[in-house]
Amino acid sequence: MKQTILNYKALAFVLAFGLLNACSDDVNDDTIDPETPVEDSRWITIAGAKMGDEPGDGNGGTLIYAVTSEDAKDPTISINPFENGFVAPSNRTARLQASEDGSTIFNISYAGDTGGIYTKYTVEGGQTFTQTGTEVSISEYVGTAPRWIKLFDGDQTGSAVYVSTEHQIDDNDTPDDATDDTYLRTSATIGIVTLDLVNSSIKNFQSYEVPLSDEEEANGYYISRIDMPTLNAAGDKLYIGARLSKVDPATVESDSDYEILGSKTIVVDYPSLLNATVITSSVGHGNTNGYRSINAFEYNGSVYQANQSDPEGSYILKIDADNQYDDSYDFNLDDALGVTGAYILAWRPAANGKGVLAYRHDGSQEGLAGRGESFFALVDLNAKTATKIEEIPYDVDMEMFQYQGFAVDGNEIYFTAASVGQNGNIYVIDTETGVVTKGAELENAEGSHFIGAW
Amino acid sequence: MLFVRIFIFFFLSSSVFAQTGDFFGKVKLSNNEPAMDVFVIVKGDHFYKEVITDFNGEFYIKSIPFNTYKIQFHSLNTIKKEITVTLNTKKKEINTSLELTKNQLDEVKITSKTAETKKETEGFAVNIIKTKEASIRNVQTNELLNSTVGVKLRQNGGLGSNVEYSLNGLSGRSISIFIDGIPISVYGSSFSLNSIPPSMIENIEVYKGVVPGHLADDALGGAINIVMKKGVKTNLNASVSYGSFNTFQASTNGLYRYKNSGFTIKASGFYNYSDNDYKISGKTIVDKGLGGVQTLITARRFNDAYRSTGGMLQFGYTDVKWADQFLVGITGSDDYKEVQHGAFVNTTPYKGRFLESDALLTNLTYLKKDFLVKGLDINVNGLYGKRNRVVNDTTAIAYSWTGERAIDYKGDEFEYIWGSQSENGPTLLNIDRKVASIRSGISYNFNKQHKLLLNHIYSGVDREDTDEMVSLLENTFQQTSDLYKNIFSLSYELNAFNNKLKANIFGKHYRQKVLNTSPEWNESETEVIEAIYESNKNYNGYGLATSYAILPNLTVLASTEKAVRLPSETEVFGDLGDNTIANLTIKPEISHNYNLGVRFGRFNFKKHGLVISTNLFSRNIKDLIGFDIDGWENDELVQYANFDKKSTSKGLEAQIDYTYNNNLGFNFNFSKLSLETKNTAGITVDVPNTPLFTLNTSLRYSIKNILQKNSRLNLFYNAYFTDEFSYIVPQGTNTVGQEKFLIPQQFIQDFGCSYTFPKKKFVLSFDVKNIFDESAYDNLSVQKPGRAFYIKLNYSINKF
Repeated sequence: MKQTILNYKALAFVLAFGLLNACSDDVNDDTIDPETPVEDSRWITIAGAKMGDEPGDGNGGTLIYAVTSEDAKDPTISINPFENGFVAPSNRTARLQASEDGSTIFNISYAGDTGGIYTKYTVEGGQTFTQTGTEVSISEYVGTAPRWIKLFDGDQTGSAVYVSTEHQIDDNDTPDDATDDTYLRTSATIGIVTLDLVNSSIKNFQSYEVPLSDEEEANGYYISRIDMPTLNAAGDKLYIGARLSKVDPATVESDSDYEILGSKTIVVDYPSLLNATVITSSVGHGNTNGYRSINAFEYNGSVYQANQSDPEGSYILKIDADNQYDDSYDFNLDDALGVTGAYILAWRPAANGKGVLAYRHDGSQEGLAGRGESFFALVDLNAKTATKIEEIPYDVDMEMFQYQGFAVDGNEIYFTAASVGQNGNIYVIDTETGVVTKGAELENAEGSHFIGAW
Repeated sequence: MLFVRIFIFFFLSSSVFAQTGDFFGKVKLSNNEPAMDVFVIVKGDHFYKEVITDFNGEFYIKSIPFNTYKIQFHSLNTIKKEITVTLNTKKKEINTSLELTKNQLDEVKITSKTAETKKETEGFAVNIIKTKEASIRNVQTNELLNSTVGVKLRQNGGLGSNVEYSLNGLSGRSISIFIDGIPISVYGSSFSLNSIPPSMIENIEVYKGVVPGHLADDALGGAINIVMKKGVKTNLNASVSYGSFNTFQASTNGLYRYKNSGFTIKASGFYNYSDNDYKISGKTIVDKGLGGVQTLITARRFNDAYRSTGGMLQFGYTDVKWADQFLVGITGSDDYKEVQHGAFVNTTPYKGRFLESDALLTNLTYLKKDFLVKGLDINVNGLYGKRNRVVNDTTAIAYSWTGERAIDYKGDEFEYIWGSQSENGPTLLNIDRKVASIRSGISYNFNKQHKLLLNHIYSGVDREDTDEMVSLLENTFQQTSDLYKNIFSLSYELNAFNNKLKANIFGKHYRQKVLNTSPEWNESETEVIEAIYESNKNYNGYGLATSYAILPNLTVLASTEKAVRLPSETEVFGDLGDNTIANLTIKPEISHNYNLGVRFGRFNFKKHGLVISTNLFSRNIKDLIGFDIDGWENDELVQYANFDKKSTSKGLEAQIDYTYNNNLGFNFNFSKLSLETKNTAGITVDVPNTPLFTLNTSLRYSIKNILQKNSRLNLFYNAYFTDEFSYIVPQGTNTVGQEKFLIPQQFIQDFGCSYTFPKKKFVLSFDVKNIFDESAYDNLSVQKPGRAFYIKLNYSINKF
């Protein structure tokens, strides 16, 4: 058996080598499987987040490793990024992006000395990621731990966002007496930067205050975190997800138990990044800033956005071409999955409006890392259905914390499923037929987890 | 050779003669210090025997035939003495005093060495760092500590920058630092190891893992005690130094004692300044142009200046009937430190962020030996005052590493949207603390063998924070925490079998009181009332240190302690500003520490002197305090708690000291350790970002009568080696790309010389640090100064 794996590895290597040298003459034709033409292949990059000091924390480094899509689908292949991978430059779990064809990996370091520095790599198979282009830093605009993603504009642009807040108080002209002071509002100043991924340069940066309604502000609500900029179908607006927090206006201390407002999104003009407005959903009531993976996607002229920490369980919300929430679109995950407290950890639709979604819910058992067992579902944005994918061997320690990567190849979506510290597999789902293929084995390291496929 | 000699000694001891007697006695130095390691040679007709005096200067030679003998006393540091004695009784006592060789510097060195060796053989894993030599050189107190075995300093830049101390792998809150037994936190950052010059310090005691009862604090991993100058002889010292990076340092200290009344005035002061504008380069040292295009540059640090001033004035009586020392006085200090960057060196340097701190404290010292009755010693050391700290970061103007204003992607000068240099937002935070600490000790010597010590330390901090950049309303509702600690310790010291066995058994009782004041509105919201929460906790710890001299030159030392670290006020009460909530049931962290050491020496052979000491150590911390999960970024509030986690540090350290003919000195030490954590899931992980292997070596050579008669030239060479270590956990065997997380191997070499002028009042020193201009890093990406030159002039006068 060992021998077989080695042979497959050798085959994979030669195949990879063949890809690199597709134009050269010294390719040994005998080793290429004639049934899988090279032209149809692409790279699938797998990322693992190594344990720092506690299982599942992902603070020990982000390791990436690339295989061909054929190998990714082959359950006899075994991949071990923790032993053989490339350590991405990021002090904490890197937020990775890939080109649509999987041939380039984009990274902006999260925290540490290189925090905010953009680098890109040509994927050459295995641990070989060759840095191309120059480095550029966005830290002076959005800090050294930037929340960034790649826009869906043909791998041209990345965008990162930042918000800083300040509580505004009226001291009633008696600066030394706090008893007559009143809380006015909390200002939220946002910064948006766009980055030319091709030429490694800054395209645009704008910064300004984004207010909420007078009533919301008087009650102490404010935008405390923003993330996940997404282009609309027309390419003239950028939607930015937001999290709201609240202070007690009497003491200006953080409130913890309060009414959750309708989900909000900041809409700005693109590419000018000006004229911000805030739109509010009457369907969903959670945050729309996501966590690590892209939280909103354009499909069929509209943008579909997941929300988190919704008291009714996560929704997928719809923003129409008029740049307003479509409140007639009601896709609640609790209802669709028959669970309570569904929480969307990460998701991704294919071009057909059907996609894969990772979630946990109130009934999830707490595993090794204490974040709750996670599951995958096949979702249909048109039918508003979600079906748990049963082909995956779920386990109490399988949690999709920090999960961020789904590789889309036509109607197929590649993703990783492994328990913390346990071996797992790549899975490929045909979103049209729902057929799930168990792919290459993922060899894990103690306390570590896989955070996606690109 | 030595073993042969010991063998002969035993052989002769066992011989039986017809009528024999014993010689015994005590050898003192002319300054009344016991003379240890003195060769005592008894010569007679057909008789020869030699022994070495022990740490108390005592010797004992058995079974010598009645006769007349010549007894020679000689050591490296004294003038040889010979006396003639006739043995005609069973026991003959010989007490004598030896003259030290006429060299003032060495005189001091030898006396302090005596005390040092005594301390180092009591059983604790302790190193005594002498400051005498460093005080005339261009050497900082921190550099002295860093060359000590098992101690590793990690400094975030040049002079005055933040330092983390690590003892045998444990660092941060695990290590306590004291000045004369008072926690250094009482003095604040303006009076610290960064600012106090070595010339104000008598010596530094570094206790590893096991901390004696008289130095009680809730330290898990050990303690560093700075012993300030204690002498009561009239003297005056002053020095000025200037060097690279516009570094200027001056210090003076003096003491005047009226011989008749015993009235004594002690004063000392220091001033330190440095621009710290040393050159750095690296992947984040860039200048940015249009579109953010980066150019790598070599930059000079431009916002890193440091200034500190301080002093101490004391007066009272010394060496009088009712007190050995009774002094009252004040300590004042003030410092200013610019901050060039955060924890890492990013592409966005700071300009305009700085820290200021000052302290003004009154102090009291009372020491008396044989108080009321013989053998009863008491000491009291107290401080009361206030200290303040300001963190100032209010400008948002962006600067480039060129030191000029930075431009944005369009080419315009710009400001950061967070309104400050640090990404955490503008701050003008004032932290005012009222501090008090009193340390008292009473000890009773029942006889030479038994001693009982009772010690108590009280320290209290009353803290108030206000941020001028935050509204008064928010400030009003910021909670305040006051912390009071009482630590009692009882120690018993045993000295048995002719000083061969020494033991120190101690118990410590910790009492901690935390007061948390949380302002709230009254019901009608017309008045702010204070809700007070209180937490009282008591814990016990204990330990044992013991040594046994198997042979006069071979001592085995073992020590152990159950050490306690009390939870801090934030860990108990949380801090809503940091989104942490209270955990009133939190327990302290407990560590079981062990040391086992062997000390060989001092071996003296002709002009050679050699001491070798080794120590095996282990630290085992349990109930580690941390956050529930460091997980969900969207979780609003977290709580500190004890976890079923363990940290273990294990290792070996060793030191060799060699001297030749009193003018060549060589020291070499190394420390190798492993630091692991067993996490909540029971998985053992290597703790990253820890230097595991260090080597230090120093060489001193002294030449007399260079240029002028009665002058002395000392040449010094120091080298520091730290092995490469990783900022992140070890990666797989075949991975690539981890090198960017490595703190590279370092080998830094310093050279220095000092010239003592004939009358010994002036000493001129010249030092080159980092001769080969190596890139030095203690922390990931934070480069330390390259080659630097310093010159220093010392003036001292001991006789008026």
